[in-house]
Amino acid sequence: MTDVHVVGVGMTRFGKHPDRDAADLGAEALHGAVADAGIDPRLIEAAYVGHVFQGMVTGQRVLAQVGLAGLPLSNVENACSSGATAIREASLAVRAGEHDVVIAIGTEHLTNKFRGALTPDPSDPEAAVGATMPSVYAMRARRYMEEFGMTREQLALIPVKNKSNAARNPLAHFRKEITVEDVLESRPIADPLRLHDCSPVTDGAAAVIVMSDKAAKKHSNGRAVRLAASALRTGTVDVEPASMTFEPLTWATAQDAYERAGIGPEDVDFAEVHDCFSIAEVLRVEGLGLFKQGEYPDALERGDANIEGRLPINPSGGLIGKGHPLGGTGVAQVVELVRQLRGESGDRQIEGPRVGLAHCRGGKAVGIEGAACTVQILIR
Amino acid sequence: MTGSAVGVSFRPGELEVRPDGSGNLLGSRCGDCGAHFFPVREACSGCLSSNLETVPFSTEGVLYTFSIVRQSTPAFEVPYALGYVDFPEGVRIMGQISGIELDEIKIGMPVVLSLEPFGEDDEGNTLTGYRFVPAEAHSD
Repeated sequence: MTDVHVVGVGMTRFGKHPDRDAADLGAEALHGAVADAGIDPRLIEAAYVGHVFQGMVTGQRVLAQVGLAGLPLSNVENACSSGATAIREASLAVRAGEHDVVIAIGTEHLTNKFRGALTPDPSDPEAAVGATMPSVYAMRARRYMEEFGMTREQLALIPVKNKSNAARNPLAHFRKEITVEDVLESRPIADPLRLHDCSPVTDGAAAVIVMSDKAAKKHSNGRAVRLAASALRTGTVDVEPASMTFEPLTWATAQDAYERAGIGPEDVDFAEVHDCFSIAEVLRVEGLGLFKQGEYPDALERGDANIEGRLPINPSGGLIGKGHPLGGTGVAQVVELVRQLRGESGDRQIEGPRVGLAHCRGGKAVGIEGAACTVQILIR
Repeated sequence: MTGSAVGVSFRPGELEVRPDGSGNLLGSRCGDCGAHFFPVREACSGCLSSNLETVPFSTEGVLYTFSIVRQSTPAFEVPYALGYVDFPEGVRIMGQISGIELDEIKIGMPVVLSLEPFGEDDEGNTLTGYRFVPAEAHSD
């Protein structure tokens, strides 16, 4: 069976794009990935396009923009894991031997559709009693603080770190550093979370081109990064109430990925994790086994998760700093991993990383821990 | 039945409202392994049995965690308290918390189910929903 290699990556600036739509953002990301790979776009054999609120056949609208027609194309929806799921589907098509060159795109135009807090689907019993996404994470934050003694100031170190990283990322939504006081004085959203604890409503797109061994040998010019694992899981229905301060779904998906890649969490040099809210970063890095449960708040204080630290988390700025265009998010994480592993990350470059991990988790449905979770491991 | 002071359940599949104003949250109990689920399911995720019956849950539980929501959709007036309550059957159910000052709510607090007006249907009839109130206040 062939390995899968990421050969070209591209993304738009993340932020507000009032005059554009998901199709032309996706097209810009595609052009970027094709240019980065240095290939003729006609080499692309198939496409998987992740998006959430963009309507039917958005993927076809992206490809129509760039004149690519006739390819097998699947639109992919898995809430905030849509783009990551598109990469997984692309990698499976290559691994299965069906295609040698496949593009995965994630695109989303949200700022003309939403303002403020996203909610679960209105049919959901929890939406019916007033659940919003921030409130669900706020409840997890409150419980974590109670169980592990994390302070509100420690939690604020996550937006401070991620917005500092984003200030070093020219494609990020936010480019301004903030302080702990800024976080604590920002508008309350759902106690204990405040505005700076929340990822923003963002427009943006990203694309990656994956290739088989054979195609990568021919086209990669030595810049390929191996996609060693691309795992996907769906949350199980709780038979009894699960802890809300640990993530069995993240843990299980990570075990699949570590096993496939032949590594363990101790081998990971840096990670992009799904920090839709500040508390989410805590739950994710502990769920992935990168930090022991209850220990991340102290690690943050020591600077362990900074770009210069022992295990940098969200060097791109994460969802909080770089922005969170739902479908685009999972693909943009892999773009960051590839650029870091190639040493092309400029001001925010981590020193000499070899193994990068990307984690996404999306969706809320009553009675299940999480809807869709992905873990991807890239090895230089 | 419209015009009844009690009103109709805002989600009849999940909240049973009786004419005397009492009611229960509804879920499933697995006839084979005894697991309980909220809301009603077609099969047990523990043993995959489809031998499930719809049962009313206890009305008393313990607050697992909560938040004061300060930004929401237009359907909900802020601020309001939202929490997860653990019931003896082994289910955790989300609901709003009322009957207590927002800054007095605490994790671990015993609460009871309270049926309360919860908006209106398309024809203007009052709907009955549920909130959780402190157990002590309820017994006063």
